[in-house]
Amino acid sequence: MTESGAQLFARLEARRSLKDVEPRLFPEDGGPDHGEVVELYGTEGTGKTELLYHLLCRCVLPVACGGLEVDVVFVDTDYSLDMLRLVSILDSRLNADEAALRSCLSRLLVVHCSSSSQLLLTLHFLETSLSSRPGLALLLIDSISAFYWLDRCEGGASVAKQEEKLSKCAVLLGRLLRDYRITVFATCHAIRRSWSGPSSSSSSSSSDYDRPYLCHPWQRLVTHRLLCSRQEAANNMAATAGGSKEQRRRQVFTVHCTSSSSSSSSSSSRTKTYRSSSFCVTDGGVEFI
Amino acid sequence: MVVLREGMCPGLDEDLVRDLRAADIKTVEDVVSSDIEELAQRCSVSYKALFAIRRVLLAQHTAFPVSGADLYEELLSSTAILSTGNPSLDKLLDSGLYTGEITELSGGPGSGKSQVCFGVAVHISYQLKQSVIFIDTTGGLTASRLLQMLQAETSNTEEQMEALQRIQIFRLFNIFSLLDCLYSLRSGGLQQASVGGGSVKAVIVDSVSAVISPLLGGKQNEGMSLMIQVAGVLKTMAKDFNVAALVTNHVTRSGSGEVQPGLGVSWSHIPRTRILLERVERAAPVSHSSMRSATLIKSSRQPCHIKEEFDLQWWSRSKEASSGKRKLDETDSG
Repeated sequence: MTESGAQLFARLEARRSLKDVEPRLFPEDGGPDHGEVVELYGTEGTGKTELLYHLLCRCVLPVACGGLEVDVVFVDTDYSLDMLRLVSILDSRLNADEAALRSCLSRLLVVHCSSSSQLLLTLHFLETSLSSRPGLALLLIDSISAFYWLDRCEGGASVAKQEEKLSKCAVLLGRLLRDYRITVFATCHAIRRSWSGPSSSSSSSSSDYDRPYLCHPWQRLVTHRLLCSRQEAANNMAATAGGSKEQRRRQVFTVHCTSSSSSSSSSSSRTKTYRSSSFCVTDGGVEFI
Repeated sequence: MVVLREGMCPGLDEDLVRDLRAADIKTVEDVVSSDIEELAQRCSVSYKALFAIRRVLLAQHTAFPVSGADLYEELLSSTAILSTGNPSLDKLLDSGLYTGEITELSGGPGSGKSQVCFGVAVHISYQLKQSVIFIDTTGGLTASRLLQMLQAETSNTEEQMEALQRIQIFRLFNIFSLLDCLYSLRSGGLQQASVGGGSVKAVIVDSVSAVISPLLGGKQNEGMSLMIQVAGVLKTMAKDFNVAALVTNHVTRSGSGEVQPGLGVSWSHIPRTRILLERVERAAPVSHSSMRSATLIKSSRQPCHIKEEFDLQWWSRSKEASSGKRKLDETDSG
C-alpha cells in the first residue's frame, strides 16, 4: 500500500518512548520501549485495574504535573472502564483544575469491543488513527482475555479454531507494533488454575493462577509480564480504633515483573530480568511502598 | 463473524460476492485482513473499488472511538445513584447502586439475598418513582410480599398499585430464556417497560447463579461461554441504558475453608461491586433473628472488607410512627 510522504513521516517519526513510565515497577533501565508489550496478569482483586489507571494517568498528564503528555487509545473489551475513578485519580494530581482535566481526557480515545471479531476489525480501523496521530504512543487493552470462553466455545473441538481469532489479533498487533513503534499494555485475568498438587493453605490464591493460557502468538508478543497478587491483609486491629481511613486501606499488593529482552548480539537468547515491588491503593491512586 | 452478502455496501454486488467466495473470502473480517492488491488480481476487480468497499465495511462494523472528555461529560449527566432504602447498605455501597454497573449480592441459603432484592425493588418503585425489571429464576418472588412491604410505606391503595405496576416481573428457569429475555430487553424492551412516567432504572436478576451453575463443571465450555454472554448483555444494557444491575449469587467454600461467592474465578471479574451476606451469630441465638451482616468484598470506591449489620425487616418497618410530620391517613372506605 502506498503512503504519502506525510504518512511515512508520521509513521516513522519517533513516538514518545514509554521507558520511564514507572521506573519503580520495571527492572533497572528496563521500562517498556518502542514495540514492546506489557501484560498485567492476576486474579480478581489484585490491583491490576488500579495499576493500569496509574500508568494511564502518568501518560496523559501534562509534563508540568509529572506526566508524559501522550495520546492513548483504550480498548475496553469488558465494559469495565470506570471513568469516575479515573477522573478522581487525575483530579488528585491536577489539584482540581477543570481545563487541565479536560485536556488530559481529550488525549484519551476509548473504544468498546464486544467480540474478538470486533476487536480484530477495530485494530484494523485504529491503524488509520495511528498513521494520522503521531502523538499516539500507547494502546491499552482491558482485557485481552475477555473473549476467551466465547472463542473456546465457538471453536468447537479444535484448539486451533478456538485460538484462531485471538491469534489473528495478536499477529495484527505485532505488525502495528513493528510498523508504528507504539507500546501496548494489556490486562489478562487469571482464570485458568494450574493444578500444582496439594497446595499449602496460605498461598492458595496466587501461585495456582500464574500460568499463561492465552494463545502462543500473544505470548510471544509479551515482553514484560507483571504478575499481580494480593498479600494477606495484616492485622492492624490496634490502630483502627481511632485510625483514619488511610490506615484502613493498608491492603498491600505485590507485583512481580519479568522482563525478557532479546540481547543485541543474538536474537535467540532472551535474557530475563526480574523485579518485585509493592503498593497500596489510596483515594488518589496507587502509592508504592 | 459477519458473513458477506450482496447489498451490504455500495459496490458489493452478487457477482463480486461470488468471486470473493471462490477466493475463500466469506466474511467481513476476511476482506479486512487480506491483501487488497492480491485480492483484486485474483478476483479481477479494480483495486480502487475493492479498497473503497473495504473502507466502507470497516467503518460499518467497527466500534466507534469516543474521546475521553465526551465520555466523561456523558457519564456525569447520566449516572445516577439509587439508594437501596437501607442506610447501612447504602453506606457500604458508597450511597447506593450506581447505574451503568453490575452489583452482586452473594450469600448462603436464608441469608436474605431475595429479601434485599425485594426491598430494593419496592424502594426504587415507591420512593424514587422509577420502574424496575425483576427477573426471578428461583420462583421465590410473590406479589403479596411486595404488597406487604408497600403497605408499610403507605396505606393508600392507589399509590401501592402504582408502585406495584412499576415493577415488571419475568419468571424464567433456564439460561436460554434468560438470554432471550435480556436480549429482547436490550433491543427495545426497556423503553416499552417504562410505565407510569418513570424510566427503567434497575434490572434485578435473582438469582443468576441458579441458571448458570448447573452448566458449569466438567469439560464442556458451553456453560462458561453462556455465563460470559449473560455478563456481556447485562453490562451493555447497564451502560447503554443507564440502569443499575443487581444480581444475586450463591456461595461456596474455597480451598482454605472460607466462604466465597460462587460461579468461580471467571465470574469474579464481572461485577464491579460485590457484597457477601451472612447471618449474625449472637451469644444467645435467637432462631428467627432478622439481623444480617454485609461485607464488602470488592469495590472500586471503598476499602474492602468493611462490614455493616442491618435488619432485614427494615423495608417492612412501619413508617407511621417514625415521622411526626406525616398527616394521618384517612381510612379508605373501599
